[in-house]
Amino acid sequence: MADSDISDNEPTTRTLLRRVLDTEAPRTPRRRQSTRAGVQRTPLGTPFSMRLRSQTKTTAGRQPHRARSIGRLAHTQTRGQLKEQTPRTLLENILLTAPESSMVMPESVVKPVPAPQGVQFSRRESSPGSLELQLPELNAPATLAPGRLTSGRRKKRLRLSEFQQGMDQGLPLSQEPPGNTGASSLSSSLNLTFATPLLPQSVQRPGLARRPLTRRAVDVGIFLQDLQDTSVATALPGDRTPVATLPTDTVLEDTQPFSQPLIGCSPSVHHSIPSPSLSAERTVSRRTWSSGPGLQNNSPRKPAQLLAGKAEEVDALAMGFPNTSSSTSGEDGLEPLLGGVGEEVEERMEESMSLSEVKEAAGAQASARAEEPEAHTEVAEAEGSWGATEEKEPEGSSGDKDTEGRTARPELASSTPEFPQARQLEFLEPAPPTSTAVLSSEPLEPLSARLPTRVQTAGPRLRQDPYKMGLSHYAKLFSFYAKMPMEKKALEMVEKCLDKYFQRLCDDLDVFAAHAGRKTVRLEDLELLMRRQGLVTDRVSLHVLVEQHLPLEYRQLLIPCAFSGNTVFPAQ
Amino acid sequence: MAVAATISQRKRIKRKAPRGFLKRVFKRQKPHLRLEASCDLLVHLNCLLFIRRLAEEARTDACKNKCGVIKDQHVLAAAKVMLKKSRG
Repeated sequence: MADSDISDNEPTTRTLLRRVLDTEAPRTPRRRQSTRAGVQRTPLGTPFSMRLRSQTKTTAGRQPHRARSIGRLAHTQTRGQLKEQTPRTLLENILLTAPESSMVMPESVVKPVPAPQGVQFSRRESSPGSLELQLPELNAPATLAPGRLTSGRRKKRLRLSEFQQGMDQGLPLSQEPPGNTGASSLSSSLNLTFATPLLPQSVQRPGLARRPLTRRAVDVGIFLQDLQDTSVATALPGDRTPVATLPTDTVLEDTQPFSQPLIGCSPSVHHSIPSPSLSAERTVSRRTWSSGPGLQNNSPRKPAQLLAGKAEEVDALAMGFPNTSSSTSGEDGLEPLLGGVGEEVEERMEESMSLSEVKEAAGAQASARAEEPEAHTEVAEAEGSWGATEEKEPEGSSGDKDTEGRTARPELASSTPEFPQARQLEFLEPAPPTSTAVLSSEPLEPLSARLPTRVQTAGPRLRQDPYKMGLSHYAKLFSFYAKMPMEKKALEMVEKCLDKYFQRLCDDLDVFAAHAGRKTVRLEDLELLMRRQGLVTDRVSLHVLVEQHLPLEYRQLLIPCAFSGNTVFPAQ
Repeated sequence: MAVAATISQRKRIKRKAPRGFLKRVFKRQKPHLRLEASCDLLVHLNCLLFIRRLAEEARTDACKNKCGVIKDQHVLAAAKVMLKKSRG
């Protein structure tokens, strides 16, 4: 075996097996077949054997068997001269010579890379096997091989613990082996270095849990200071954080997707408002009012700011609305928003105080950013403080919703006990300085006078969240189909479109069913709809679309298929 | 019989249709109407196809403007076209 000259003193299993393979290959044709099988097996066997070795010593017994099987395949004919180098014998030798606590210290070093493992292997074999003695030896070569270091890092923790435990044993032992004194000092220094990074980590982790609490305590003070300090439009971002960290406010603030300050309207914007639609302003002002009363509660000196803020909100929203695609959509957006707000107000009564605080900060921060998202965020904040996060999205509202919203608004404004600011509302009415606010005051008076006593349905929040979740489910599909990166605003736009689409869909189905004189929407109605949409043509039938786009389970439900027993499912 | 057997084998459906959501939406919109058994699956199919077309349209819009990112104005323009197409 010319190629058997491997320089390793202690041949690794892999090298051994490879050697075996090499020796076996040029033998005989019959041998070749078996070696081919053997070839297939030995590569499998090698990592296997390594793994086995690394796991437990007890399982090492299998290796001889495996090697034996390989050996059997490879050596059907005995080679006397190979006896001492059969894989089995070699492995047995390795097992005998290797230390008991093999590289394995740990479960941490489960699958060491074969190369470094082989290196360690050889080292270990050279050293007498004892745990304590191993420590210094592990440490000593730590500086030598970089691969060693990485594995050493893996075992760092265990070694540390062992080191700490067997410190008495370890250090004196480390000093014992000759020529290791320098290494031992190095190792001790190494150990020391090991110690330092680990301990702080362990300390830091519990500390992480404590941090938020301390933050909150401080921020309340900051928040109060900010409340006193803030005037109309300054230091807006600064206010956010204390507001956000108040416990109740966190609850409220966290629900808002856009936790941006009401930087919304600039004075310049305020001036440049063309007052696009009275209704828009009206609805806007209604909304601001409902939030305003909450604000009024807190500090009487705020009204000027609040009014300014509200006016600016109005302006911002008014500005925002021309930006929307269509006035109708704006209207749609407004009225369901109203309805949504009204419903949420009913719910969030108990949080009015915190709300008012929030609104103060919010109102105080009113300044110029009349972008649509900001306007929407403002609105969202106004309602957002009541837990509404989906203000931007016009809910699937029909006419009844709008009326509900309108009735809810004045009712909410006046009758609710948490808002004794009905008087403050009137107080607000003459007060607003801007022309837009004046315009808005007119519809408010009749509204407040109406006082309808309809109780809003409980659980508007539940309704919005799953609705939004359902829409976002489709929006994710959109981003998947688009195969391009998308902005978040675009996703929200998609949700709006989906909402409109759903409305249209329901209307169409209603019409079709009514045309057929039915009150139940059937599959043929759906098919007719898809035909009219141009999805189903003479070439492409509905079944084809179902097969293409729906998973198998749904397809089974939709397309009638014959089954055994002379049945068809679903039944036609 | 066979259907039940095959369905029970696989419990996880990829791309599930939010049937409850669709039913709820329809009920809210048209409380006086009823949906038949598997109609919401076809509604889901309809939505999928609509979204697919919308996404294609938005993508072409964005590419036309040589934008690497789909913005909401692209989506808006695409939606206008699509809603017109899927008027029924």
